[in-house]
Formats: sequence, C-alpha cells, structure tokens
Amino acid sequence: MPYHEFECSKCIPERKQHAVDKGPGENVTDALPLGYQNTIPGSISERGCAYCGAKHVIGTPMKDVIHMSHGPVGCTYDTWQTKRYISDNDNFQLKYTYATDMKEKHIVFGAEKLLKQNIIEAFKAFPTMKRMTIYQTCASALIGDDMNAIAQEVMDDMPDVDIFVCNSPGFAGPSQSGGHHKINIAWINQKVGQVEPKITSDYVINYVGEYNIQGDQEVMLDFFKRMGIQVLSTFTGNGSYDDLRAMHKAHLNVLECARSAEYICNELRVRYGIPRLDIDGFGFGPMSDTLMKIGMFFGIEDRARAIIAEETAKWKPELDWYRERLTGKKVCLWPGGSKLWHWAHVIHAEMGVNVVSVYTKFGHQGDMEKGIARCEEGALAIDDPNELEGLEALERLKPDVIFTGKRPGEVAKKVGVPYLNAHAYHNGPYKGYEGWVRFARDIYNAIYSPIHQLSLVDISKDEIPAEPRFMTQRMISDATLSAEITSSTEMRQYSGKYDTIAALRAKTYPSFPRTSTQLSAT
Amino acid sequence: MEDSLNHKVEQLVDYIMKHCLWQFHSRTWDRERQNKEILAKTTQILCDEPVDKETPEARCYWVDAKSLAEAFQTRYPWLNAMGKDEIKGLMEGLKERIDFLTIKGSLNEELNDPRY
Repeated sequence: MPYHEFECSKCIPERKQHAVDKGPGENVTDALPLGYQNTIPGSISERGCAYCGAKHVIGTPMKDVIHMSHGPVGCTYDTWQTKRYISDNDNFQLKYTYATDMKEKHIVFGAEKLLKQNIIEAFKAFPTMKRMTIYQTCASALIGDDMNAIAQEVMDDMPDVDIFVCNSPGFAGPSQSGGHHKINIAWINQKVGQVEPKITSDYVINYVGEYNIQGDQEVMLDFFKRMGIQVLSTFTGNGSYDDLRAMHKAHLNVLECARSAEYICNELRVRYGIPRLDIDGFGFGPMSDTLMKIGMFFGIEDRARAIIAEETAKWKPELDWYRERLTGKKVCLWPGGSKLWHWAHVIHAEMGVNVVSVYTKFGHQGDMEKGIARCEEGALAIDDPNELEGLEALERLKPDVIFTGKRPGEVAKKVGVPYLNAHAYHNGPYKGYEGWVRFARDIYNAIYSPIHQLSLVDISKDEIPAEPRFMTQRMISDATLSAEITSSTEMRQYSGKYDTIAALRAKTYPSFPRTSTQLSAT
Repeated sequence: MEDSLNHKVEQLVDYIMKHCLWQFHSRTWDRERQNKEILAKTTQILCDEPVDKETPEARCYWVDAKSLAEAFQTRYPWLNAMGKDEIKGLMEGLKERIDFLTIKGSLNEELNDPRY
C-alpha cells in the first residue's frame, strides 16, 4: 500500500493512512485512503458539521420554505453571499435566514417556548410562505427540546402550514456527510407520500442530488423539458417542498450526487420500486451518455440524439479552443465530495489537463474508489486534509490551478496558485454543454490571468525587470501554439452571455402528446 | 492467448472504471447485484440475445448495459470480430475482474456495514 506520509503530519501518525499515491499499474485494490472517520485530534480539519450538511447543503436549496435553525444565531452563517444555490422565486431561501437565537438562559431553562414563538412569528412575517423546515443544532439537541412536538402544536393551530423537522445536530457524525444521511432519511420518513402530484407526461423523473449551483439544475431541466420529460421534483436545488412530498410517483430517479443523496434513492427503490440511475452531468461525453440513457429508459432516445447533436455542434468548437490552451496543465482537484469523481477523468479527456491530486473533505471510501479509478497514475489522493498538508502538497506538486472551496482556495492564492471555486463556481453554471465551456473559460482565465505577472513576483528577492513587459492573456497562452491553431477559423472563444439562466426561465417548450401511462413504478 | 484475453479484459475494465458509476454502489450486496445484472445484460446485447427489460428495475439495468455495449463496440473494434462463445468467455473474465476490483479485493471498509 503506497501510503503518503506528509512531513508536516509526522507528529500525527494516524494521518498516514489518509493519503496514498496512485503508482504505475496500481488500482483501487492497491491504494485507498481511509475515509468518513472522526477527525484526528491535532489535525485542523476543513470539514463542516452534520448540521451544516443537513441544512446548508441539502435542506436550504428548497426554495419555497422558511428554513429555521433552532440554536444560536451563528449556526445560520452560510446563507446569502456565501451560498450560490439560486432559485427561480427570487432566491427567497437564500435571502432570508432564521434562527431562534438561543442564549445561555435557554440552555438552562429550555427553549421550546422560544421555538414556538419564532415559528409563529416567521409565518406571520411571511404570510405567503406556508412551509417550514426546522433544524436541530448542537445546543438544542443537548438540552433535549422536543422540536417535533412543537411543530405538531403549530400545525394543529395553523392547518394551512406544514413543517419538517430535521434532527441532525452538528455532532451527529464525523462531517457534513452524516447530516446528508440524516436529512435524506428524515425526509422520506416524514414527508414522501403525502402529496399526490398531477402527472403531465408519460415520462416522469425525480432529479436527485442536484443543488442548482449558479443554475445547474435549470440547465438540466431545459434538456429534460426538450425531451418531454416531467421532472416531478428536484432533490433539492430550486426544488419545491410539496413537489418533494410527491417523489413516490416518479418512474425513475436520476441521481447526480450519490454522496449526498443516494440514501433517498435507495429508500425510494426499496419502498416504491423506483429504479436509481447514477449519472454524470459534467462534460460533453458524460452529458451525452446521460441524455441517451434517460432517453433509452423511456424509449425516446431520438429526442436525446437531437439535443446532443445540436448542443455539440454549437459548443464543441469553443471547448476545443480552450483545450488547445489547457492541455498539459496540472490541476489539483480538491472539492468536497462528488466532483472528485464527476470531474477526475473528464477534465483530462476533454480539456487535456492532468489531475495531479484529488482530495475530499467529507467523502467516504466509495468516493475515493471512484475518484482514484478515474484519475491518472501518479495522482496523490488525500482524505480530510489539514491546511498544512494542503500547503505541502502544493509545494511538491506545483499545480497550475486548483479547484476547491473558498477557504482552502484563498490559502492557495497566497502561495501563488490560481484557484477556481469547485463548490459555488466562479462563473457558472458548469453543467451541460455550454456550462462545460464556461468552466473551461474560467480555468483559462485563472491560469492565464495577466495579474500573475505582478502577483507572482516576490519583490523581496526576485529581480524586477526595468522595461515594461506586460503581456495579455493571449500572448501568454498562444506563445507555444502553432499558427494552425492560433489562426484557426473553426475554434473560437466562449460566445455565450454573462447570464444564461434568465433566458431559460422565459423559454417555452413544445408539448408532446401522451400515449400511455406506461412504466409506473408503483 | 491468455495474455491476449487478459489484455482485452483490462481494456474493458479501464473503460468501466473511467466512464461508469454503477459498479461503485455503497454496499457489497448492492455491488454484487449491479455487477451481475448489468454485465449479464451487456453480454446478451453483445451476443444479440433477448434481454429482459419489462420491469422498471430491469429496464434501468438494460439502459446501463446498452450504453456499455455500444461503447465497447465503438471503441474496441476487435470485439466485433469475436464469436458469441468468445464474447461470453471475455465477459466472464470481465465480470470476475470487476467483482474483484469492487468487492472481493476492495479496501472499502464500509462495504459490509449492515446499515446504509
């Protein structure tokens, strides 16, 4: 087993089993780090807590809901300006955040009255909102407030409202992943099966594990609508509370992020007989495979083919322009969970970059199996790294760019490594064909930004040239390319708009006549 | 001869590992079912044999199998020159190898956790 021992972590020997080098000819049975373990004392982890995983990853993207934390106000930190899971109702769930604001006196005397008062106050302040989720925090869990009882009291008094209670305090798992599990199971136990939806198509899916980062869900919805598929619910990006209560009526669960949402798909399979189809929505090849698979499931693969042909013809020349300029660049792929494996192969195959390291903050060993299987030999795979290990890896690997979250990303910038936000994106959406070109464009801009001519010079020791020598992006990126490539009339830079989502929201779709009620899974 | 077969199996394994997700479900029992159903259906498609796709579950397996079979036929032209018995032998070797990589030889300590 080729474990990788960091110099900075020699004083924490348990860390050695959390990093491996994928050597020549080795596979997932030779090399696999430990995963989903409690963070080792002494290692300053970058993880979130189980409350964060339940509320800020999965719960809050639901759009037509008052999301209330029963705990100290600080627990609500991740909201407007820190999260980018947008919604088509003017981002209600991001703009407004609620906490019961527990203080020491509530820890001593209990906070159930405070909770009830806050629930009623919030419904009165936003009278058009009739749905609420309440999230337990460490504080309210430790004092044993009965949130379910309070929620039921309010629902008895206010029959037009519905409340979902999520008992996932911060300490309920090694990382945010524990919270993903808890809210998946809580939702299917408490809410699925309560609403009977209006079925408008012969082809009905739940789109699961998709959080509408900068509009990703809406890009995918566009493809599904063009195929005549009814998306009954999205779990949970841009998703509606009542739509998600009707998940049991879909014919197929299309699962994007298996890390955060496989649990509900597995339960829907067992309880309602709805099959689970795991997909990749990133990259031209994986996106085309996905549309074809869904098309084949419903017998409408001709509709998928038409979309693939149209989108590929439109966007492939633009992807090629960036591929020529990104080939050979070294990338550290350090996201939270699923993008580790969604991107590990396809950015190499379609953009030509080399993934020199993969890491995950909260992934399980199954995620590392997928990621290591997909990345190339020589990559360093790290589970739950601390900041010093990240810095040591950057020093050793010398990547041209790093894809990660905003906290480790800012650290990378300080040591001269350009960073792209793998969680919230820089200029997304990144899904779909155009989205993939936007991602390539963002990578190009990160690597070839002219600012590096100034920011990467250390004025304390580097020689500063006397003559002005400013170079544009194109001068840098095209310096070693052949004239055939630089003067190509086929390839071109990204031609899309700054905002690609507004047009999708205004779009109308053809109606497809229904032929039968086939493929009912229940 | 055996080296040649192993080489072909490894090419198919590499495709699955880089492009598919179905082989990495979370638990041993789930991976056993996924590998068995999808690779059996892939074999049937490659051998022009009838494939069960009547139930939603069977149809979902068939979708992954059909996609895999088409990719194999496109990427590995040598497959199209093989007879049905040869293809079945090849696919048995592939199933054995995928079972090893994802189940029997897997280092994933969660595979046998009784809870999801």
